[in-house]
Amino acid sequence: MMTLKIQIIIGGVLLMGLIALVNMIKRRKMDLKYALLWIILIIGLMILDLFPGLMDALAAVVGISSAVNMIFFMGFCFSLGIIFALTVAVSRMSDRLRKLAQALALTEKRLLDLLEKGEDTNEKEI
Amino acid sequence: MKKLVIIPAYNEMESIVNTVCDVKERALGFDYVVVNDCSTDSTKEICLENEINLIDLPVNLGIGGAVQTGYRYAFDNDYDIAVQVDGDGQHDAAFLNLMADELERENLHMIIGSRFISGEGFQSSGVRRIGIRYFNYLIKILTGKMVTDPTSGLRMVNSQVIELYANNYPKDYPEPESVVAILRKGMNVKEVPVLMRERTGGVSSISMKRSVYYMIKVTLAILMECLRDRRDKK
Repeated sequence: MMTLKIQIIIGGVLLMGLIALVNMIKRRKMDLKYALLWIILIIGLMILDLFPGLMDALAAVVGISSAVNMIFFMGFCFSLGIIFALTVAVSRMSDRLRKLAQALALTEKRLLDLLEKGEDTNEKEI
Repeated sequence: MKKLVIIPAYNEMESIVNTVCDVKERALGFDYVVVNDCSTDSTKEICLENEINLIDLPVNLGIGGAVQTGYRYAFDNDYDIAVQVDGDGQHDAAFLNLMADELERENLHMIIGSRFISGEGFQSSGVRRIGIRYFNYLIKILTGKMVTDPTSGLRMVNSQVIELYANNYPKDYPEPESVVAILRKGMNVKEVPVLMRERTGGVSSISMKRSVYYMIKVTLAILMECLRDRRDKK
């Protein structure tokens, strides 16, 4: 059984996290796309925290004796999911960055070549 | 026949001018382009001062990203042959025309300059040679082909491979992986003996500390390359 004390502590931490998160989104410091994962995580944990009966049932199903451990375990799994999603996002980002940098360098090169050519023909005309 | 020498350069201020002069003087018929991978020394300034044909990357992309920029340049400008020559002066430009002739004559997709066929010139240190031997066998097992110098940076490719590399090229330590990609596609790869010099300036991108990471990363990359290919065939 979860004691009221741990229920309140977990609930408080989650609430603080949620407030911080909403603040970040408000100030446009976090992409809503990624914030969504966190919101789901916090709300999910909040529900489990508020209704420990749910937790006990779930814990019994998977064979975990303490409901608190179930919360920790689920939080851990969610976190891993988020980290994984981040790794995918970073990989995609670095790929895009590479293409962008290359395109920029090549365009700059072409521009400089064109300018040089233009100068040459101008000189000839004069 | 348009031929391009791609010279990736990261902090090569001591040797870049010599490398470019070497290419200009001894590889007649070749155009060249230096890709400055956002060097922190004055590589860029030196290139501009000497009016070297330069592509200047705005951020550091690593050797793979820099070389790929060169291949994209080759692709955009319709080159028939592109060859990679390291900016540190290890490669002798005198071999380029021999390689180009052979590539054309035998209709190859790729020709690699290998240090280990004749066994002459700079042969790399003992520990590195063990690593190279390991990649020899790994590539032999996976592709059935013997590549004596899979880490050689001196490689010349035809227009088909230029297009391929312009679209897809490994990020770091790209040499063995990109050779395997070509071999798995059933393309013709040949090696010719070349002499390499010890680098004249700068530092190797593969320090001893990183060599363990290098071995693991490249092994994984080669294995992945083989999985990828099989899925493409289906």
